[in-house]
Amino acid sequence: MRKLIPIVIIAIIAIIVFSSGKSETQKILRIYNWADYVSDDVIKKFETEYHCQVVIDTFDSNEAMLAKLKAGATGYDIVVPTEYTVNVMIDDGMLIKLDPAKIPNLKNIDTDYAKLMRDGKMEYSVPYMVSVTGIGYNPEKVPDFTPSWSIFLNESYKGRMTLLNDMRETLGAALKSLNFSINTTNDAELEEAKNLVICYKKNIAKFDVDEAKRGLVTGEFFVVHGYNGDLQQIIEEAPNIKFAIPEEGTSMAIDCMVIPVGAKNVDLAHAFINFIHEPENCAATMEEVCYASPNTEAVKLLPEEFRQNEAVFPKKELIAKCELIEDLGDDNAKYTKAWDQIKSAE
Amino acid sequence: MKRSSLPLLTTIAVLVFFYFPLVLVTIESFNASKYGGPWTGFSLRWYKTLFTDAEVFRALKNTLIVGVVSTLVSMVLGTVAAFALHRFKGKLQAAHYGLIYLPLVVPDILMGISLLLFFVALKVELSLVTISIAHISFCISYVTMVVLGRLQDFDFSVMDAAQDLGADRLTAFRKILLPLLAPGILAGGLLAFTLSIDDFVITFFVSGPGSTTLPVYIYSMMKHGSPPVINALSVVLLAVTFVLVLYSQFLNHGGKENA
Repeated sequence: MRKLIPIVIIAIIAIIVFSSGKSETQKILRIYNWADYVSDDVIKKFETEYHCQVVIDTFDSNEAMLAKLKAGATGYDIVVPTEYTVNVMIDDGMLIKLDPAKIPNLKNIDTDYAKLMRDGKMEYSVPYMVSVTGIGYNPEKVPDFTPSWSIFLNESYKGRMTLLNDMRETLGAALKSLNFSINTTNDAELEEAKNLVICYKKNIAKFDVDEAKRGLVTGEFFVVHGYNGDLQQIIEEAPNIKFAIPEEGTSMAIDCMVIPVGAKNVDLAHAFINFIHEPENCAATMEEVCYASPNTEAVKLLPEEFRQNEAVFPKKELIAKCELIEDLGDDNAKYTKAWDQIKSAE
Repeated sequence: MKRSSLPLLTTIAVLVFFYFPLVLVTIESFNASKYGGPWTGFSLRWYKTLFTDAEVFRALKNTLIVGVVSTLVSMVLGTVAAFALHRFKGKLQAAHYGLIYLPLVVPDILMGISLLLFFVALKVELSLVTISIAHISFCISYVTMVVLGRLQDFDFSVMDAAQDLGADRLTAFRKILLPLLAPGILAGGLLAFTLSIDDFVITFFVSGPGSTTLPVYIYSMMKHGSPPVINALSVVLLAVTFVLVLYSQFLNHGGKENA
């Protein structure tokens, strides 16, 4: 028994030390978000201005978050799902209709982005951050680079290029270069895209997600298909690497803020969404998380250099050519089949 | 006779596969590079980020509270269960054994989602309490199994002897049984603690607003955020674990000398 005593003492001390402070009388805003996706300073500012406490919980995939909320978990005031999950949540009646009068900063939202969303009128969701897929390349090794998916047909870089090991992204790239929709369910269009990817496959080293970006820095690969957030991190370390969005357009993902049914502080949640889209707060958040927010006024406040960074901000004229990847339900099987054929093609 | 070199090779292989990754993580945590890989210089920036990140600390606090509470409760309940299973052998105990054994083999995801549905049905608010209950429910099984093993070697005639010499049942339990079982209970407790602090699947489902634990936070960080901070965090956890293990070994050693 004596051996237990120190453990119990340690436990008690730990609980006392860790649970000290913070009165619970304040209002609490509970946010369910991805890790490292807010600016601590902006959150602190919100807490002071609204006399509340912000508690952030994190999830690691839209699917896991959705499974949990669908099973009945409640208590979150704001959730930050990706657009395709927002649509599922709207269809299942899991979201509260937003009151635009409480979010005057909606006027700052760039409609070019909102237009891409199914909930384009922002009745249930407000776009928060945007990410795109594009091409990371080494200009020293690829002097004649033009931002186009056709680079993957160029045999002079055979074995030095990689495509994403993701069926929707890679088939999406081929669909875009054929001028079809990324979300097509037309068999003939998919067949054409499949054959194009098989042509790409002859020139690339592999389908990959994580290793390839390292290869870009070490010189193993010259052209890498990847997410802008990932490649931006690479560029910070290896400034000789460049990122471009193909002129045919690409896939885009928009993470949105929504208020789930069952939220306890609906007013405070509206206030938070409005606060985040206050230009200066939004600009501070963008600089910290290194993603683009579709907030026109906030973008104006950013340093020139950051605004010109194509790995964060897609060129204005390209946005309309981008599409959001939608959940296709049963038609997903068509993509899986095409992808299997690509993987087994010689 | 020439000795086989196989055991030696196996030992080396096990040591390499077990400890080398830990060494690697430690080295990487000091790498200035943001995405791992090539060494770009010694840096403490990930530790700085880690120690200034309020979210990490909140997650750590939650993890420790749940870990300590579920360890202590499952130590008590597990020991009592093991005792009952050992002393009485009937149909009821067979069923009891089956029930205790089940959580060891049920997949985590099944347990997580069913606990969540259960809590939702009872309208219990998800919080650290629900995580603790979930953890206790699987930790009990581990503690019971360990203590049960210990009981099988236990010679109950010492208990009879104590009672013959005038000790009442409570005194005999307190002065004889408990000290002799303590190493088993403690081992079960340590096992429960480690299982509790690194459980992800069950915790993810039964955690509510404000009760994100460290594993849940780390998973999200891996998908979205800065992986090097995870390296730094792992090294800190590693250091804490080593200190705890050393301390428990020191305790065990001291215990033997007293006996």
